[in-house]
Amino acid sequence: MTIRTRPRRRLLGVASALTVGAILLSGCGAASTAAPSADATPKPGGDLVFLIDSLGATWIPNNSSISSYQGNIWGHLTDKLVYVDAEGALSPWIAESWDENADKTQFTLHLKEGVTFSDGTPLDAAAVVANIDIWAKGRPDEGINRIGLFPSANYQGAEAVDATTVTVSFSAPTLSFIPTLAYHGSILLSPTTLALPADQQADLTNDIGSGPFTVEKVADGDSVVLKKRDDYDWGPEAIGHDGPAYLDTITYKQVAEPSLRTASVESGQAQVAYNASPQDLDALKGEGLTVETPRYLGFVNGYALNTTVAPFDDVRVRQAVQHGIDRDEILSTVYTEDWHAAESLIQSTVPEATDRSADFAYDPDEAASLLDAAGWVKGADGVRTKDGQKLSFTLYPNPYLQASQSVDELVDQQLTTLGFEVNLETYDVPTYGQKVIGNAAVPATEITRSFVDVGTVAGVLTSQKKGDEDWFKVGTSDATLNDLATRIATATDRDARAAVADELQGYVLDQGYFVPLTQIVQRVYVQAPDVSGVTYNGLAYAYYLDAWLND
Amino acid sequence: MLRIYGRFALRRTGQAIVVVVLAYLFTFVVISILPGDPVTSTLRNPDNGFTEDDIARIVAYYGLDQPWYVQLGSSLGRFVVGDLGVSLRSNLPVGTLVFDALGSTLSLAAAALLVAIVLAVVIAYGTQFLPPRFGQGVLRSLPSLFLSVPNFVIGLLLIHVFAFGLGLFSMIDTETPWGTFFAAVALGIPVSAQLAEVLIASLDHESRQEYVAVARSRGLRSGALFLRHLAKPSALPTVTVLALIVGELLGGALITEAIFGRVGIGTLVESAVASQDLPVLQAVVSLAAVVFVVVNLVADLAYPLLDPRVSVGPSGRPAVSASREDPAPLLREEVGIV
Repeated sequence: MTIRTRPRRRLLGVASALTVGAILLSGCGAASTAAPSADATPKPGGDLVFLIDSLGATWIPNNSSISSYQGNIWGHLTDKLVYVDAEGALSPWIAESWDENADKTQFTLHLKEGVTFSDGTPLDAAAVVANIDIWAKGRPDEGINRIGLFPSANYQGAEAVDATTVTVSFSAPTLSFIPTLAYHGSILLSPTTLALPADQQADLTNDIGSGPFTVEKVADGDSVVLKKRDDYDWGPEAIGHDGPAYLDTITYKQVAEPSLRTASVESGQAQVAYNASPQDLDALKGEGLTVETPRYLGFVNGYALNTTVAPFDDVRVRQAVQHGIDRDEILSTVYTEDWHAAESLIQSTVPEATDRSADFAYDPDEAASLLDAAGWVKGADGVRTKDGQKLSFTLYPNPYLQASQSVDELVDQQLTTLGFEVNLETYDVPTYGQKVIGNAAVPATEITRSFVDVGTVAGVLTSQKKGDEDWFKVGTSDATLNDLATRIATATDRDARAAVADELQGYVLDQGYFVPLTQIVQRVYVQAPDVSGVTYNGLAYAYYLDAWLND
Repeated sequence: MLRIYGRFALRRTGQAIVVVVLAYLFTFVVISILPGDPVTSTLRNPDNGFTEDDIARIVAYYGLDQPWYVQLGSSLGRFVVGDLGVSLRSNLPVGTLVFDALGSTLSLAAAALLVAIVLAVVIAYGTQFLPPRFGQGVLRSLPSLFLSVPNFVIGLLLIHVFAFGLGLFSMIDTETPWGTFFAAVALGIPVSAQLAEVLIASLDHESRQEYVAVARSRGLRSGALFLRHLAKPSALPTVTVLALIVGELLGGALITEAIFGRVGIGTLVESAVASQDLPVLQAVVSLAAVVFVVVNLVADLAYPLLDPRVSVGPSGRPAVSASREDPAPLLREEVGIV
């Protein structure tokens, strides 16, 4: 009926110019408070509004506790047995102390007394046994996942010795057990909740924890309001906060549009905006907002190379990729100064991480001579060939990682100047899951994963055990790697294991199995200046037990 | 005559039911041929560290490992007895999710329709009675401008000016009267364009009729002329377009709700599409199809009853008696209603 004769593009331009103008205008009215002085005293009260991209999917605890979104909420509704700080140091929480036997197959947890769930049930040994059981096994036939990183393979069982003592047994040395208790999947819930069927656990109001906040109101897909629990008095020792939280309520409100989240904080309608885009951060700091980019413990962002497909079946080509990538350019182009270049295949915050950046430093000349030595010759079109084959491979940006595509586009440019032909294939999450994950022909897999214990690394290197992920597709062909993986997995002494971990990082990088890029920041917090006392744990979640608002 | 009309009504109703069933099946097919399923996508997140065995057991719990015809059969079986199933995304009952979202969308759509009607009437009235030099041309080009500016641009502008700038409403609590009003404006502006187009066209047509000249010569003022003589005959084709506009509102609500952070059917659809949540999508698509089909059915069935010049021809379609000239069917052709 209407013939659209108007050039849409021009109109769009006008409209976006108007929008930008409006944003600038509204920015002028934004509250600009001075940063609080360092000696500001905490004051109780206040309502914190936290704007989040998504509230995730289901609320079944086991299925949602490690969600980057819902993890923020679980962290306030529930406690954990052990606390892990940003440097990976473990400290007591609901477990006051723990002992382990000499071969690290049996652990005894000594629980704090007087802790209760918000429904009044005591958080005692029986409750802890019920929790450890469901983390280890889940109830898959009822739609309840296990906790993926829990050392389930060796788990034999947990037992309540008395009201405050639990013993947990494994069939093989399991150094990773205690750190796993601090992992974001290991949240303690009331046995009443755990006994419910999945579709009732999916209703957050049924999920009873012992944390500093309780659920006040849930609107599916819109918001979750948490209320302070007045009788809370068992926060992590490391936080150093006695008694209940200062804040009265925390409202998590879903706002999908990133610019609206940050503009709401600028205009004083909210205190925290989650996951702003890296390009906007400098401007937001200029507005007087605080930007927090905590790093979780885990693997860095990088490529695991498939050693069974050309051209990565040649160690010299793999090393050429390592030396052909300019990480500083990635940091300055895609990210801000809040990000760090990778120094190894694991994040620098992991206690066992060692600085190996010299092994894969940017050196285009070195990369070129490696490719020359491997027999790849540049043709007239700038692409290297060997026996009629092009030096070519495909990169699949990881849809689970923000900014992955921008990083891969830059890597594509950098490697093209070396004589590679790089193809980019971008898929959404479902397609990526079908075409890339588990596909043995994919030449390079982009990694993003958190863990709380370096022992996790053992499970991805080879295919020696069932469930091993064999990232580099070496199977069991690399005797050195087999040995390193086994020694890490079966270690019974943390110091000795750290030495093995150091050796392992050197070997994996030296063989060009892994190409590190940057240290991952999966969670970005943009915060109003009147928020103080926020802490970040080893999983990079903001924790508001000790936080307060200055007016 | 009555028998012919009855047959026409029956056929139209039958067609409507077929459309709803087809919409239900179409949704199933489209989602089924998409790669992957929501459960596997979530479980495969590398952060989980699940083995394929772990994943297979959970997928089996949802019945997603069954062949497509088994899944379709069980979903149809539930649908027929009114059981909408459980969301694959949130594990909550679909009926509850849809019911909770419905209120917000209905109030938004109703408010937007009101905004659209007021805007359209004002614009159309202006085109008839403003002297050409004083902005009649501008008014006549407004509808195409309204149609070409994307809904989300209007929405973002309104939010930045009225929420962040003037603080009339907040993004945290969006269901306030002001919040609903501005969302309705964002949704109503493009919708008003279609209404205004039809209204202007039929006003132009009617005002060329002899009776208008007669009325004017008797010294009737513009307002009275509009209300007494022009409004009614011009409203008829507009009623037809209203039926189409219900579809516009449903589609536009999706974007508007997302931008304004409202929780309604639109945001429910958006998250269901993003997560391939088949049970929720089937429920919402069927509901939308029912609404759309019913509104159009009512318009079609009412038309011959409203306008004595339109009768149901032997073909069972409304036809114009040849002796009288009537703009409405022509307009119906023009706006693509066949």
